Amino acid sequence: MNDRIVKRTGLLLALVGLAAGTIWPADLKNLTKELFVIPSTTGNEDLLAGKIRNLLPRGLAIEEDGLGTVAVRFRGPGAPTLLLAALDGYGHMVSGITADGYLTLDRPAAPPHSRFDAYLLGQPVIVSTARGPVQGVVSQPAMHLLTQERRKTLVENFSLENAFVDIGVRSEREARDKGVEILNPVTFWPVLTELAGGRWSGPSLGLKAVAAVLVAVAESLNEEPPSAQAVIAWAAQTKAAARGRGARPALGAARAKTKWDPGRTVVVGVIAAGKAGTAPVLGKGPVLVLAKDEPTALRQAFERAAAGAGISSQFLAATDSPLAIPFAGARSEVLTVALPVQFLDTPSEIVDLKDIQALRDLLERFLRTGGGQ
Amino acid sequence: MTKRLTIFLLAIFISAAAAADRPQAWDILREILLVPGVSGHEGPVSDFIQHKLPAGFKPQRDGMHNVWFTVGSGKPHILFVAHSDELGWVIDKITPEGRIRVKRGGGLLPETAEARPVLIHTARGPVAGIVAPRPGYDERRQQADAPEAPFTAENFDVFLGVSTEAEARALGVAEGDPLTPKKALVDFAPGLMSSRAVDDRAGCAALLDAALRLKADAFRGKTVTFAWDVQEETGLIGAAELAKTLKPDFVFAIDTFVSTDSPLESKRFGYLPVGKGAVLRAVDSSNVTPRTEIGKVMAIAKKRGIPVQVGNSRGGNDGSVFLAGGAVDIPLSWPGSYAHSLIEKIDRRDLEALSDLILAIVSDWK
Repeated sequence: MNDRIVKRTGLLLALVGLAAGTIWPADLKNLTKELFVIPSTTGNEDLLAGKIRNLLPRGLAIEEDGLGTVAVRFRGPGAPTLLLAALDGYGHMVSGITADGYLTLDRPAAPPHSRFDAYLLGQPVIVSTARGPVQGVVSQPAMHLLTQERRKTLVENFSLENAFVDIGVRSEREARDKGVEILNPVTFWPVLTELAGGRWSGPSLGLKAVAAVLVAVAESLNEEPPSAQAVIAWAAQTKAAARGRGARPALGAARAKTKWDPGRTVVVGVIAAGKAGTAPVLGKGPVLVLAKDEPTALRQAFERAAAGAGISSQFLAATDSPLAIPFAGARSEVLTVALPVQFLDTPSEIVDLKDIQALRDLLERFLRTGGGQ
Repeated sequence: MTKRLTIFLLAIFISAAAAADRPQAWDILREILLVPGVSGHEGPVSDFIQHKLPAGFKPQRDGMHNVWFTVGSGKPHILFVAHSDELGWVIDKITPEGRIRVKRGGGLLPETAEARPVLIHTARGPVAGIVAPRPGYDERRQQADAPEAPFTAENFDVFLGVSTEAEARALGVAEGDPLTPKKALVDFAPGLMSSRAVDDRAGCAALLDAALRLKADAFRGKTVTFAWDVQEETGLIGAAELAKTLKPDFVFAIDTFVSTDSPLESKRFGYLPVGKGAVLRAVDSSNVTPRTEIGKVMAIAKKRGIPVQVGNSRGGNDGSVFLAGGAVDIPLSWPGSYAHSLIEKIDRRDLEALSDLILAIVSDWK
């Protein structure tokens, strides 16, 4: 009898473990890898949003804002504390198809820096269509045919005006037969490179790692709810700026402010690391971005959470990012907590696995100890 | 019953014979593309080639890693040669911060490696790194700023994930190790792809495939040599070494035809479309093929129904070093878009036509 109970319990545990392995991958590295391969650019976040929905624990009610943002709420006393991360990365989109089947490009949002487009030259890309990914390359002149003068200026003069994506077809009709349409997102190949020292590299890796951290936090809070109300949101269209006078907030963040009206907001973002030997650096923990000199209650709560759990963190004085701007009013507090990313906004963003884990631990600890209330 | 068994065995025999004659060049190419072999470091590619060759051909190998075999006897002596090296860089030094610097050169547009993954091929296996983007890459540049210094191989600052020289050396990295871009096979469609090092691994694959399908009666009454040589990209060095001992009457160098089949090139010359057949490089930067020989190749191709295009473009070929010794150089190719880039493009039909053409020439050349 006892043997049968043990066997049945074992089977049940195995099934639960299997379910946890497929639906709720507890391992943060696997989560990051799963999200890494999903393309997501401003206005085309649906694939990543769908993946996050599938990874979230079943039973959690998904809230939406109509713009593409997805969120989960954990009930509790008080106004909600909002953890907000971006769902969209920088990228390009199909703007036209030439008669001989090449794709022309545009951007859905302004690039992060002036060199961003030049990284396309001569590189493999993925065109995400409704019928699945289409592989392509951004054309580059043959080196043998370049004069010395043209070779020197090729990259400096490269722009979207002369960026043509070759998807191996000969006509517009053949391109459309592959499922390619105007506005399809075009992104770098999601090639993950594992470096020494527990560092990983790849395009939009910082964004995906942060998104994975919030999935992991949501998993944890689902098992043991926080002591106060919390909303975790992955915001769409954060690279698009809301129009109007004054500072330009991120559109997705402005929308999230209206939708969830939080008492406190923690923007969970990325920040450039390892620049010319200055802080922040990889491997030293999450970065608290200080927009004001005086310590705020939210900042103190994070410092306490970090100290209490022995999590190393870094500090950086900087102005509020477009994601934080909508929340920086008199009635609410906002703090940006960022994952340090080396070579940020290049096709080879580098993250440290220790920082990813520390960011998850810090956010969880913060919410468990009152969320700054 | 016996009759049925005979038919069954005959069917198996015919099927096996057909399989042996079926071109494998495409599959070979997809394998050999991923084998590292920067000029001067071709050992692994030569191993690959030697391992694939039938032992009966008694392949030879010299200290430089040139590999070749000769079959048959008599005149003419015809040589087919493809180069096994690829473009890439060599480590110059390791900084105290554990960063990697490389020697100048490389043959690729350095900017296409900026902020990109690379592999260092150490004695202990590959080690991944990232070529750091230029300092200040994300800073706003003012119009009045002085022009930026060009980003060259000497500017490469490869990050391995470590922060000291000792940590880098502990990974097995050392001065002199070759370094290549991390390769990706872009499959546009079945039988159409892009990758780094199609030049000249496609030539190697076509030649290997032809060797695997070579039959003894094809080279009766003539001498045929197949060679895979080294260090073409750095000055036809391997071919020059072979030319000291091999004295062919005809040399067919198998290498990329730099095609202008791309949206960024002038179509004034070199416009041989990808997918329209093998290529005879009538004129390139190192050789002018006699019209009589062009006619002979085209006649053989026509007789065998092999699609072949004729054109002129740029770039040199290994056959040219045999010219001084009295050989006639007839370079054969496939139309390759985006030559010397990370995305060299090739069509399976062109590669298989090239392999078929090699076999047809072995058989029919006089």
